[in-house]
Amino acid sequence: MTLLIASAALMRDTFREAIARKLFWGLFGISTALILFAVFIMRIDVVQGAIATTSLFGQTIGHGVDVTRLVRGVHAVISTFLYYWLMCLALFASAGLISSVFEPGRIELLLSKPVSRAHILLGRYAGNLLVVGLNAGYLVLGIWLIFGWKTGVWNSAFLVVMATTAFMFAVLLSAMVLVAVLSESGALAIMVAFALMIVSAILAQRSIAERLLSSEWSRTLWNALYWALPKFFDVGSMNLNFVQGRPVGSLAPLWSSAVFAAVMLAASVYSFSKRNY
Amino acid sequence: MPSDNAIETLGLTKVFRSVWRRTQVRALDDVSLEVPRGTTFGLLGPNGAGKTTFVKLLLACVHPTQGAARIFGREVWESEARRPVGYLPENHRFPTYMTGVGMLDFYSALSGMQARARKKRIPELLELVDLAKWGRVRLGKYSKGMLQRIGLAQALMHSPRLLILDEPSDGVDPVGRRQIREILHALEEKGVTIFINSHLLGEVELFCREVAILHRGKVALVGKVKELTAGKGYRLAATSVGGEAESKLRETATATASKDGLLEFQFADRATLNQAIDLLRGCDAQIESIAPTTSTLEDVFMRTVQS
Repeated sequence: MTLLIASAALMRDTFREAIARKLFWGLFGISTALILFAVFIMRIDVVQGAIATTSLFGQTIGHGVDVTRLVRGVHAVISTFLYYWLMCLALFASAGLISSVFEPGRIELLLSKPVSRAHILLGRYAGNLLVVGLNAGYLVLGIWLIFGWKTGVWNSAFLVVMATTAFMFAVLLSAMVLVAVLSESGALAIMVAFALMIVSAILAQRSIAERLLSSEWSRTLWNALYWALPKFFDVGSMNLNFVQGRPVGSLAPLWSSAVFAAVMLAASVYSFSKRNY
Repeated sequence: MPSDNAIETLGLTKVFRSVWRRTQVRALDDVSLEVPRGTTFGLLGPNGAGKTTFVKLLLACVHPTQGAARIFGREVWESEARRPVGYLPENHRFPTYMTGVGMLDFYSALSGMQARARKKRIPELLELVDLAKWGRVRLGKYSKGMLQRIGLAQALMHSPRLLILDEPSDGVDPVGRRQIREILHALEEKGVTIFINSHLLGEVELFCREVAILHRGKVALVGKVKELTAGKGYRLAATSVGGEAESKLRETATATASKDGLLEFQFADRATLNQAIDLLRGCDAQIESIAPTTSTLEDVFMRTVQS
Protein backbone atom coordinates (compact mmCIF):
# COMPACT_ATOMS: atom_id res chain seq x y z
CA MET A 1 0.00 0.00 0.00
CA THR A 2 2.76 2.44 0.99
CA LEU A 3 4.47 1.53 -2.28
CA LEU A 4 1.41 2.62 -4.21
CA ILE A 5 1.05 5.85 -2.22
CA ALA A 6 4.68 6.75 -2.89
CA SER A 7 4.42 5.82 -6.60
CA ALA A 8 1.32 7.96 -7.03
CA ALA A 9 3.03 10.85 -5.22
CA LEU A 10 6.10 10.65 -7.47
CA MET A 11 4.02 10.58 -10.64
CA ARG A 12 1.77 13.37 -9.44
CA ASP A 13 4.81 15.47 -8.57
CA THR A 14 6.27 15.04 -12.06
CA PHE A 15 2.93 16.04 -13.51
CA ARG A 16 2.70 19.05 -11.22
CA GLU A 17 6.21 20.13 -12.13
CA ALA A 18 5.39 19.82 -15.84
CA ILE A 19 2.38 22.07 -15.29
CA ALA A 20 4.32 24.57 -13.18
CA ARG A 21 7.11 24.78 -15.74
CA LYS A 22 4.43 25.41 -18.37
CA LEU A 23 5.61 22.29 -20.22
CA PHE A 24 2.30 20.51 -20.02
CA TRP A 25 0.28 23.52 -21.12
CA GLY A 26 2.89 24.31 -23.79
CA LEU A 27 2.48 20.84 -25.28
CA PHE A 28 -1.27 21.10 -24.87
CA GLY A 29 -1.37 24.51 -26.59
CA ILE A 30 0.72 23.33 -29.54
CA SER A 31 -1.44 20.21 -29.84
CA THR A 32 -4.59 22.33 -29.81
CA ALA A 33 -3.15 24.61 -32.50
CA LEU A 34 -2.41 21.57 -34.67
CA ILE A 35 -5.92 20.21 -34.16
CA LEU A 36 -7.41 23.57 -35.16
CA PHE A 37 -5.11 23.62 -38.16
CA ALA A 38 -6.49 20.23 -39.16
CA VAL A 39 -10.00 21.68 -39.02
CA PHE A 40 -9.15 24.10 -41.80
CA ILE A 41 -6.87 22.11 -44.10
CA MET A 42 -9.53 19.74 -45.36
CA ARG A 43 -13.00 20.55 -46.54
CA ILE A 44 -15.36 18.03 -48.10
CA ASP A 45 -18.49 19.12 -49.88
CA VAL A 46 -21.19 16.53 -50.02
CA VAL A 47 -24.00 17.05 -52.48
CA GLN A 48 -27.03 14.78 -52.27
CA GLY A 49 -25.06 11.96 -50.64
CA ALA A 50 -22.14 12.07 -53.06
CA ILE A 51 -18.90 13.88 -52.63
CA ALA A 52 -18.83 16.92 -54.90
CA THR A 53 -15.37 18.30 -54.24
CA THR A 54 -12.56 17.72 -51.81
CA SER A 55 -10.39 20.61 -50.85
CA LEU A 56 -7.00 20.21 -49.19
CA PHE A 57 -4.88 23.23 -48.27
CA GLY A 58 -7.35 25.28 -50.34
CA GLN A 59 -6.74 23.25 -53.53
CA THR A 60 -9.70 21.47 -55.07
CA ILE A 61 -8.70 17.88 -55.70
CA GLY A 62 -11.53 17.00 -58.04
CA HIS A 63 -14.77 15.20 -58.54
CA GLY A 64 -15.20 11.53 -57.78
CA VAL A 65 -11.97 11.17 -55.87
CA ASP A 66 -11.55 8.09 -53.67
CA VAL A 67 -11.91 9.81 -50.32
CA THR A 68 -10.95 6.72 -48.29
CA ARG A 69 -7.66 6.51 -50.13
CA LEU A 70 -7.16 10.22 -49.86
CA VAL A 71 -7.81 10.25 -46.11
CA ARG A 72 -5.50 7.27 -45.60
CA GLY A 73 -2.80 9.13 -47.51
CA VAL A 74 -3.31 12.29 -45.49
CA HIS A 75 -3.36 10.23 -42.29
CA ALA A 76 -0.07 8.60 -43.29
CA VAL A 77 1.58 11.97 -43.86
CA ILE A 78 0.17 13.42 -40.65
CA SER A 79 1.02 10.37 -38.57
CA THR A 80 4.64 10.55 -39.73
CA PHE A 81 4.72 14.25 -39.01
CA LEU A 82 3.19 13.71 -35.55
CA TYR A 83 5.62 10.91 -34.78
CA TYR A 84 8.64 13.13 -35.38
CA TRP A 85 7.05 16.34 -34.13
CA LEU A 86 5.70 14.88 -30.92
CA MET A 87 8.99 13.14 -30.22
CA CYS A 88 10.98 16.36 -30.58
CA LEU A 89 8.57 18.28 -28.34
CA ALA A 90 8.41 15.51 -25.78
CA LEU A 91 12.19 15.18 -25.54
CA PHE A 92 12.63 18.93 -25.09
CA ALA A 93 9.92 18.98 -22.44
CA SER A 94 11.38 16.03 -20.54
CA ALA A 95 15.01 17.05 -20.27
CA GLY A 96 14.42 19.37 -17.30
CA LEU A 97 11.95 17.08 -15.60
CA ILE A 98 14.45 14.28 -15.25
CA SER A 99 17.53 16.26 -14.25
CA SER A 100 15.71 18.53 -11.76
CA VAL A 101 15.39 15.62 -9.34
CA PHE A 102 19.15 15.48 -8.90
CA GLU A 103 19.47 19.11 -7.75
CA PRO A 104 21.43 19.41 -4.51
CA GLY A 105 19.08 20.19 -1.65
CA ARG A 106 16.24 18.32 -3.31
CA ILE A 107 17.70 14.88 -3.87
CA GLU A 108 18.82 14.50 -0.23
CA LEU A 109 15.28 14.98 1.02
CA LEU A 110 13.92 12.46 -1.50
CA LEU A 111 16.56 9.92 -0.53
CA SER A 112 15.82 10.41 3.18
CA LYS A 113 12.32 9.00 2.66
CA PRO A 114 11.61 5.28 3.08
CA VAL A 115 11.52 4.75 -0.66
CA SER A 116 14.14 2.85 -2.63
CA ARG A 117 16.25 4.71 -5.16
CA ALA A 118 14.91 2.51 -7.96
CA HIS A 119 11.39 3.48 -6.94
CA ILE A 120 12.21 7.21 -7.04
CA LEU A 121 13.77 6.96 -10.50
CA LEU A 122 11.09 4.75 -12.02
CA GLY A 123 8.31 6.81 -10.46
CA ARG A 124 9.73 9.90 -12.08
CA TYR A 125 10.12 8.05 -15.38
CA ALA A 126 6.51 6.91 -15.28
CA GLY A 127 5.31 10.42 -14.45
CA ASN A 128 7.16 11.75 -17.46
CA LEU A 129 5.59 9.10 -19.70
CA LEU A 130 2.19 10.09 -18.39
CA VAL A 131 2.72 13.76 -19.24
CA VAL A 132 3.77 12.97 -22.80
CA GLY A 133 1.28 10.12 -23.25
CA LEU A 134 -1.67 12.33 -22.34
CA ASN A 135 -0.60 14.99 -24.78
CA ALA A 136 0.08 12.49 -27.55
CA GLY A 137 -3.33 10.96 -26.93
CA TYR A 138 -5.04 14.32 -27.03
CA LEU A 139 -3.36 15.39 -30.27
CA VAL A 140 -3.77 12.13 -32.17
CA LEU A 141 -7.34 11.56 -31.03
CA GLY A 142 -8.19 15.18 -31.81
CA ILE A 143 -6.87 14.97 -35.36
CA TRP A 144 -8.46 11.56 -35.91
CA LEU A 145 -11.85 12.88 -34.77
CA ILE A 146 -11.57 15.98 -36.98
CA PHE A 147 -10.73 13.92 -40.07
CA GLY A 148 -13.38 11.35 -39.27
CA TRP A 149 -15.99 14.03 -38.81
CA LYS A 150 -15.04 15.85 -42.00
CA THR A 151 -14.63 12.87 -44.27
CA GLY A 152 -16.77 10.20 -42.69
CA VAL A 153 -13.77 7.86 -42.96
CA TRP A 154 -12.77 6.44 -39.58
CA ASN A 155 -9.33 4.96 -40.15
CA SER A 156 -8.52 3.44 -36.77
CA ALA A 157 -5.02 2.49 -37.98
CA PHE A 158 -4.13 6.16 -37.58
CA LEU A 159 -4.47 5.80 -33.80
CA VAL A 160 -1.45 3.52 -33.72
CA VAL A 161 0.75 6.62 -33.86
CA MET A 162 -0.22 7.20 -30.20
CA ALA A 163 1.27 3.86 -29.25
CA THR A 164 4.37 4.12 -31.45
CA THR A 165 5.15 7.64 -30.25
CA ALA A 166 4.66 6.73 -26.60
CA PHE A 167 6.73 3.58 -27.05
CA MET A 168 9.63 5.28 -28.81
CA PHE A 169 9.51 8.14 -26.33
CA ALA A 170 9.79 5.62 -23.49
CA VAL A 171 12.83 4.11 -25.23
CA LEU A 172 14.60 7.44 -25.80
CA LEU A 173 13.62 8.66 -22.32
CA SER A 174 15.36 5.64 -20.80
CA ALA A 175 18.62 6.77 -22.44
CA MET A 176 17.99 10.32 -21.21
CA VAL A 177 17.49 9.04 -17.68
CA LEU A 178 20.82 7.22 -17.75
CA VAL A 179 22.66 10.29 -19.07
CA ALA A 180 20.93 12.50 -16.48
CA VAL A 181 21.89 10.14 -13.65
CA LEU A 182 25.51 9.99 -14.78
CA SER A 183 25.95 13.65 -15.67
CA GLU A 184 23.08 15.42 -13.82
CA SER A 185 22.77 17.51 -17.00
CA GLY A 186 19.43 17.88 -18.76
CA ALA A 187 21.11 19.51 -21.76
CA LEU A 188 23.45 16.57 -22.30
CA ALA A 189 20.55 14.14 -21.91
CA ILE A 190 18.60 15.84 -24.67
CA MET A 191 21.67 15.95 -26.93
CA VAL A 192 22.13 12.21 -26.55
CA ALA A 193 18.43 11.55 -27.28
CA PHE A 194 18.57 13.57 -30.49
CA ALA A 195 21.84 11.93 -31.48
CA LEU A 196 20.16 8.53 -31.09
CA MET A 197 17.30 9.68 -33.34
CA ILE A 198 19.67 10.84 -36.07
CA VAL A 199 21.97 7.86 -35.81
CA SER A 200 19.00 5.49 -36.06
CA ALA A 201 18.09 7.01 -39.44
CA ILE A 202 21.66 6.48 -40.68
CA LEU A 203 22.02 2.97 -39.28
CA ALA A 204 18.68 1.97 -40.84
CA GLN A 205 20.28 2.27 -44.32
CA ARG A 206 21.85 -1.14 -43.96
CA SER A 207 21.43 -2.20 -47.59
CA ILE A 208 23.33 0.87 -48.76
CA ALA A 209 25.99 0.30 -46.11
CA GLU A 210 26.41 -3.33 -47.26
CA ARG A 211 27.28 -2.06 -50.71
CA LEU A 212 29.43 0.89 -49.65
CA LEU A 213 31.48 -0.65 -46.86
CA SER A 214 34.37 -2.64 -48.19
CA SER A 215 35.62 -4.49 -45.10
CA GLU A 216 33.79 -7.23 -43.25
CA TRP A 217 34.50 -5.78 -39.83
CA SER A 218 33.00 -2.39 -40.73
CA ARG A 219 29.82 -4.10 -41.94
CA THR A 220 29.75 -6.14 -38.73
CA LEU A 221 30.21 -2.97 -36.68
CA TRP A 222 27.39 -1.27 -38.61
CA ASN A 223 25.08 -4.20 -37.92
CA ALA A 224 26.11 -4.38 -34.27
CA LEU A 225 25.33 -0.72 -33.79
CA TYR A 226 22.06 -1.12 -35.63
CA TRP A 227 20.93 -3.89 -33.30
CA ALA A 228 22.30 -2.29 -30.14
CA LEU A 229 20.71 1.14 -30.57
CA PRO A 230 17.01 2.07 -30.63
CA LYS A 231 15.34 1.95 -34.03
CA PHE A 232 13.52 5.24 -34.04
CA PHE A 233 13.56 5.52 -37.83
CA ASP A 234 12.44 1.95 -38.48
CA VAL A 235 9.57 2.20 -36.03
CA GLY A 236 8.52 5.40 -37.82
CA SER A 237 8.49 3.49 -41.12
CA MET A 238 6.43 0.71 -39.52
CA ASN A 239 4.01 3.34 -38.33
CA LEU A 240 3.68 4.79 -41.83
CA ASN A 241 3.09 1.39 -43.41
CA PHE A 242 0.51 0.46 -40.83
CA VAL A 243 -1.51 3.64 -41.33
CA GLN A 244 -1.44 3.15 -45.09
CA GLY A 245 -2.63 -0.41 -44.70
CA ARG A 246 0.62 -1.90 -46.01
CA PRO A 247 2.48 -4.81 -44.34
CA VAL A 248 4.67 -3.61 -41.48
CA GLY A 249 7.29 -6.35 -41.87
CA SER A 250 9.45 -7.64 -39.06
CA LEU A 251 8.72 -6.63 -35.47
CA ALA A 252 12.43 -6.76 -34.63
CA PRO A 253 12.76 -2.94 -34.45
CA LEU A 254 10.15 -2.94 -31.68
CA TRP A 255 11.53 -5.68 -29.49
CA SER A 256 15.17 -4.70 -29.94
CA SER A 257 14.28 -1.12 -28.97
CA ALA A 258 12.42 -2.46 -25.94
CA VAL A 259 15.52 -4.44 -24.94
CA PHE A 260 17.59 -1.25 -25.31
CA ALA A 261 15.17 0.61 -23.00
CA ALA A 262 15.28 -2.18 -20.41
CA VAL A 263 19.09 -2.16 -20.43
CA MET A 264 19.19 1.64 -20.12
CA LEU A 265 16.74 1.63 -17.21
CA ALA A 266 18.60 -1.16 -15.43
CA ALA A 267 21.87 0.74 -15.87
CA SER A 268 20.21 3.95 -14.63
CA VAL A 269 18.87 2.27 -11.51
CA TYR A 270 22.25 0.62 -10.83
CA SER A 271 24.15 3.86 -11.32
CA PHE A 272 21.66 5.88 -9.25
CA SER A 273 21.87 3.40 -6.39
CA LYS A 274 25.68 3.63 -6.33
CA ARG A 275 26.04 7.39 -6.39
CA ASN A 276 26.72 9.70 -3.47
CA TYR A 277 24.59 12.83 -3.08
CA MET B 1 17.20 -5.93 15.79
CA PRO B 2 15.81 -3.54 18.48
CA SER B 3 18.37 -1.24 20.02
CA ASP B 4 18.53 1.18 22.95
CA ASN B 5 20.14 3.65 20.64
CA ALA B 6 18.38 5.73 18.06
CA ILE B 7 21.63 6.07 16.12
CA GLU B 8 24.68 3.85 16.20
CA THR B 9 27.73 4.09 14.02
CA LEU B 10 30.69 1.78 14.12
CA GLY B 11 33.99 2.70 12.51
CA LEU B 12 32.22 4.83 9.95
CA THR B 13 34.69 6.01 7.34
CA LYS B 14 34.10 7.91 4.15
CA VAL B 15 36.75 8.65 1.58
CA PHE B 16 35.74 10.72 -1.43
CA ARG B 17 37.86 9.87 -4.43
CA SER B 18 38.20 11.93 -7.56
CA VAL B 19 38.74 9.57 -10.49
CA TRP B 20 40.15 12.21 -12.84
CA ARG B 21 42.43 14.06 -10.45
CA ARG B 22 43.40 10.93 -8.54
CA THR B 23 42.93 12.75 -5.27
CA GLN B 24 41.08 11.60 -2.20
CA VAL B 25 39.55 13.30 0.78
CA ARG B 26 38.95 11.45 4.02
CA ALA B 27 35.75 13.15 5.14
CA LEU B 28 35.07 10.76 8.03
CA ASP B 29 37.60 8.58 9.77
CA ASP B 30 36.53 5.70 11.98
CA VAL B 31 33.60 7.46 13.60
CA SER B 32 31.86 5.41 16.28
CA LEU B 33 28.98 7.18 17.96
CA GLU B 34 25.91 6.23 19.94
CA VAL B 35 22.88 8.46 20.31
CA PRO B 36 20.51 7.04 22.94
CA ARG B 37 16.77 7.03 22.34
CA GLY B 38 14.91 10.07 23.59
CA THR B 39 17.92 12.36 23.92
CA THR B 40 18.72 15.66 22.28
CA PHE B 41 22.07 15.35 20.61
CA GLY B 42 24.16 18.07 18.97
CA LEU B 43 26.84 17.38 16.40
CA LEU B 44 29.39 20.16 16.32
CA GLY B 45 32.51 20.84 14.35
CA PRO B 46 34.27 23.46 12.27
CA ASN B 47 33.57 23.75 8.55
CA GLY B 48 34.78 20.69 6.70
CA ALA B 49 34.83 18.55 9.84
CA GLY B 50 32.56 15.96 8.23
CA LYS B 51 29.26 16.81 9.96
CA THR B 52 27.12 16.91 6.82
CA THR B 53 28.80 13.78 5.45
CA PHE B 54 27.93 12.05 8.70
CA VAL B 55 24.26 13.06 8.41
CA LYS B 56 24.15 12.02 4.75
CA LEU B 57 25.60 8.64 5.67
CA LEU B 58 22.83 8.20 8.24
CA LEU B 59 20.24 8.91 5.57
CA ALA B 60 21.87 6.71 2.93
CA CYS B 61 22.55 9.66 0.63
CA VAL B 62 26.23 8.73 0.78
CA HIS B 63 27.75 5.24 0.83
CA PRO B 64 30.32 4.49 3.54
CA THR B 65 33.81 3.40 2.53
CA GLN B 66 34.00 1.37 5.73
CA GLY B 67 31.95 0.78 8.86
CA ALA B 68 28.27 0.62 9.55
CA ALA B 69 25.44 2.90 10.60
CA ARG B 70 22.16 1.87 12.19
CA ILE B 71 18.95 3.67 13.03
CA PHE B 72 16.92 2.00 15.77
CA GLY B 73 18.99 -1.11 15.13
CA ARG B 74 18.36 -1.27 11.37
CA GLU B 75 21.07 -0.81 8.77
CA VAL B 76 20.57 2.57 7.15
CA TRP B 77 20.64 0.96 3.70
CA GLU B 78 17.29 -0.65 4.35
CA SER B 79 14.74 1.89 3.20
CA GLU B 80 12.53 0.83 6.15
CA ALA B 81 15.21 2.17 8.51
CA ARG B 82 14.32 5.66 7.32
CA ARG B 83 10.59 5.35 8.00
CA PRO B 84 10.78 6.67 11.61
CA VAL B 85 13.09 9.51 10.58
CA GLY B 86 12.16 13.13 9.94
CA TYR B 87 14.84 15.15 8.21
CA LEU B 88 15.40 18.81 7.52
CA PRO B 89 18.40 19.23 5.22
CA GLU B 90 20.84 22.10 5.19
CA ASN B 91 20.62 24.29 2.04
CA HIS B 92 17.36 22.62 1.09
CA ARG B 93 15.78 23.43 -2.24
CA PHE B 94 12.14 22.62 -1.94
CA PRO B 95 10.44 22.71 -5.35
CA THR B 96 9.22 26.30 -5.71
CA TYR B 97 6.22 25.23 -7.81
CA MET B 98 4.72 23.53 -4.77
CA THR B 99 2.51 25.26 -2.23
CA GLY B 100 3.10 24.68 1.46
CA VAL B 101 0.20 22.24 1.54
CA GLY B 102 1.37 20.48 -1.63
CA MET B 103 4.89 20.12 -0.30
CA LEU B 104 3.74 18.64 3.01
CA ASP B 105 1.40 16.32 1.15
CA PHE B 106 4.09 15.11 -1.29
CA TYR B 107 6.83 14.36 1.22
CA SER B 108 4.49 12.73 3.71
CA ALA B 109 3.07 10.54 0.94
CA LEU B 110 6.63 9.38 0.28
CA SER B 111 6.80 8.49 3.96
CA GLY B 112 3.81 6.24 3.37
CA MET B 113 1.07 8.33 5.03
CA GLN B 114 -2.46 7.66 3.84
CA ALA B 115 -4.33 10.51 2.11
CA ARG B 116 -6.85 10.88 4.94
CA ALA B 117 -4.14 11.11 7.59
CA ARG B 118 -2.24 13.67 5.51
CA LYS B 119 -5.30 15.81 5.06
CA LYS B 120 -5.89 15.87 8.81
CA ARG B 121 -2.26 16.46 9.77
CA ILE B 122 -1.36 19.25 7.32
CA PRO B 123 -3.45 22.04 8.95
CA GLU B 124 -2.15 21.02 12.39
CA LEU B 125 1.46 21.30 11.27
CA LEU B 126 0.90 24.58 9.43
CA GLU B 127 -0.63 25.95 12.62
CA LEU B 128 2.28 24.66 14.68
CA VAL B 129 4.89 26.45 12.57
CA ASP B 130 2.73 29.56 12.28
CA LEU B 131 2.15 29.26 8.54
CA ALA B 132 -1.57 28.54 8.51
CA LYS B 133 -2.28 31.50 6.24
CA TRP B 134 0.50 30.55 3.84
CA GLY B 135 -0.53 26.99 3.11
CA ARG B 136 -1.91 27.75 -0.35
CA VAL B 137 0.97 30.03 -1.36
CA ARG B 138 3.77 28.73 -3.55
CA LEU B 139 7.07 28.11 -1.80
CA GLY B 140 8.75 30.49 -4.23
CA LYS B 141 7.10 33.35 -2.30
CA TYR B 142 8.33 32.19 1.11
CA SER B 143 11.12 33.95 3.00
CA LYS B 144 14.11 31.93 4.17
CA GLY B 145 12.78 31.70 7.71
CA MET B 146 9.39 30.54 6.43
CA LEU B 147 11.04 27.88 4.28
CA GLN B 148 12.91 26.68 7.32
CA ARG B 149 9.66 26.43 9.30
CA ILE B 150 7.78 24.64 6.51
CA GLY B 151 10.81 22.36 6.23
CA LEU B 152 10.48 21.55 9.91
CA ALA B 153 6.76 20.87 9.43
CA GLN B 154 7.66 18.53 6.58
CA ALA B 155 10.05 16.64 8.86
CA LEU B 156 7.32 16.28 11.50
CA MET B 157 4.44 15.24 9.22
CA HIS B 158 4.65 11.50 9.80
CA SER B 159 5.32 11.86 13.58
CA PRO B 160 8.91 10.58 13.43
CA ARG B 161 10.69 8.95 16.35
CA LEU B 162 14.02 10.43 15.26
CA LEU B 163 14.39 13.96 14.00
CA ILE B 164 17.58 14.87 12.15
CA LEU B 165 17.97 18.60 11.69
CA ASP B 166 20.82 20.09 9.70
CA GLU B 167 21.27 23.74 10.73
CA PRO B 168 17.59 24.16 11.74
CA SER B 169 17.96 27.82 12.79
CA ASP B 170 19.69 28.89 9.60
CA GLY B 171 18.08 32.10 8.36
CA VAL B 172 15.47 32.17 11.12
CA ASP B 173 14.99 35.35 13.19
CA PRO B 174 15.25 35.22 17.02
CA VAL B 175 11.47 34.90 17.45
CA GLY B 176 11.40 32.03 14.97
CA ARG B 177 14.35 30.39 16.70
CA ARG B 178 12.60 30.46 20.03
CA GLN B 179 9.49 29.04 18.35
CA ILE B 180 11.51 26.20 16.83
CA ARG B 181 13.15 25.55 20.18
CA GLU B 182 9.75 25.33 21.87
CA ILE B 183 8.49 22.89 19.24
CA LEU B 184 11.58 20.76 19.72
CA HIS B 185 11.24 20.85 23.52
CA ALA B 186 7.65 19.61 23.19
CA LEU B 187 8.86 16.78 20.97
CA GLU B 188 11.63 15.94 23.42
CA GLU B 189 9.03 15.58 26.15
CA LYS B 190 7.17 13.13 23.96
CA GLY B 191 10.33 11.03 23.74
CA VAL B 192 11.40 11.94 20.21
CA THR B 193 15.15 11.68 19.69
CA ILE B 194 16.48 14.90 18.25
CA PHE B 195 19.79 15.03 16.42
CA ILE B 196 20.97 18.52 15.51
CA ASN B 197 23.88 19.35 13.26
CA SER B 198 24.73 22.98 13.84
CA HIS B 199 27.52 25.48 14.08
CA LEU B 200 25.46 27.72 16.40
CA LEU B 201 27.05 26.69 19.68
CA GLY B 202 24.74 28.82 21.81
CA GLU B 203 21.68 27.16 20.31
CA VAL B 204 23.10 23.70 20.85
CA GLU B 205 24.10 24.53 24.43
CA LEU B 206 20.59 25.78 25.14
CA PHE B 207 18.85 22.80 23.66
CA CYS B 208 21.00 19.66 23.58
CA ARG B 209 21.74 17.32 26.44
CA GLU B 210 24.62 15.59 24.69
CA VAL B 211 27.11 16.69 22.07
CA ALA B 212 29.87 15.30 19.93
CA ILE B 213 32.56 17.41 18.34
CA LEU B 214 33.89 16.26 15.01
CA HIS B 215 37.26 17.53 13.93
CA ARG B 216 39.03 16.56 10.72
CA GLY B 217 36.65 13.66 10.26
CA LYS B 218 37.21 12.16 13.70
CA VAL B 219 35.23 12.30 16.93
CA ALA B 220 37.31 14.70 19.02
CA LEU B 221 34.97 14.86 22.01
CA VAL B 222 31.68 13.36 23.09
CA GLY B 223 29.74 13.81 26.30
CA LYS B 224 26.91 15.42 28.23
CA VAL B 225 26.75 19.20 27.89
CA LYS B 226 26.45 19.71 31.66
CA GLU B 227 29.56 17.68 32.35
CA LEU B 228 31.58 19.22 29.57
CA THR B 229 30.80 22.77 30.63
CA ALA B 230 31.13 22.15 34.38
CA GLY B 231 34.23 23.84 35.89
CA LYS B 232 36.78 22.20 38.17
CA GLY B 233 37.67 25.27 40.26
CA TYR B 234 36.27 28.39 41.89
CA ARG B 235 36.25 32.07 41.08
CA LEU B 236 36.48 34.65 43.90
CA ALA B 237 36.07 38.42 43.57
CA ALA B 238 37.04 40.85 46.33
CA THR B 239 37.74 44.56 46.99
CA SER B 240 39.85 46.40 49.63
CA VAL B 241 42.46 43.65 49.53
CA GLY B 242 45.70 44.76 51.18
CA GLY B 243 49.01 44.47 49.33
CA GLU B 244 50.39 41.68 51.53
CA ALA B 245 47.19 39.58 51.30
CA GLU B 246 47.07 40.12 47.53
CA SER B 247 50.62 38.78 47.13
CA LYS B 248 49.78 35.71 49.19
CA LEU B 249 46.62 35.07 47.18
CA ARG B 250 48.48 35.44 43.87
CA GLU B 251 50.79 32.63 44.98
CA THR B 252 47.95 30.15 45.51
CA ALA B 253 45.58 31.25 42.72
CA THR B 254 45.68 29.62 39.27
CA ALA B 255 44.71 32.93 37.63
CA THR B 256 44.20 36.54 38.68
CA ALA B 257 42.69 39.65 37.17
CA SER B 258 42.00 43.18 38.40
CA LYS B 259 39.68 45.90 37.18
CA ASP B 260 38.62 49.17 38.91
CA GLY B 261 39.77 47.95 42.33
CA LEU B 262 38.01 44.58 41.96
CA LEU B 263 40.39 41.65 42.21
CA GLU B 264 39.46 38.27 40.75
CA PHE B 265 41.20 35.05 41.67
CA GLN B 266 40.70 31.52 40.41
CA PHE B 267 41.49 28.59 42.67
CA ALA B 268 41.96 25.03 41.64
CA ASP B 269 40.07 23.41 44.55
CA ARG B 270 37.89 24.02 47.57
CA ALA B 271 40.74 23.81 50.14
CA THR B 272 42.70 26.65 48.53
CA LEU B 273 39.49 28.65 48.21
CA ASN B 274 38.76 28.27 51.93
CA GLN B 275 42.31 29.37 52.82
CA ALA B 276 41.83 32.44 50.63
CA ILE B 277 38.50 33.27 52.32
CA ASP B 278 40.14 33.02 55.78
CA LEU B 279 42.95 35.26 54.65
CA LEU B 280 40.57 37.89 53.22
CA ARG B 281 38.42 37.90 56.36
CA GLY B 282 41.52 38.39 58.46
CA CYS B 283 42.50 41.54 56.59
CA ASP B 284 39.03 43.19 56.43
CA ALA B 285 38.75 42.74 52.68
CA GLN B 286 35.26 42.68 51.11
CA ILE B 287 34.30 39.45 49.35
CA GLU B 288 32.04 40.40 46.44
CA SER B 289 31.31 36.97 44.93
CA ILE B 290 32.29 33.32 44.97
CA ALA B 291 31.21 30.93 42.20
CA PRO B 292 32.31 27.65 40.69
CA THR B 293 34.07 28.20 37.39
CA THR B 294 32.14 27.02 34.31
CA SER B 295 32.94 26.94 30.64
CA THR B 296 30.61 27.72 27.81
CA LEU B 297 30.21 25.17 25.06
CA GLU B 298 32.15 27.60 22.92
CA ASP B 299 35.10 27.37 25.35
CA VAL B 300 34.91 23.59 25.20
CA PHE B 301 34.65 23.66 21.42
CA MET B 302 37.60 26.02 21.00
CA ARG B 303 39.77 24.01 23.37
CA THR B 304 38.90 20.79 21.56
CA VAL B 305 39.46 22.14 18.09
CA GLN B 306 42.66 23.99 18.93
CA SER B 307 44.25 21.24 20.98
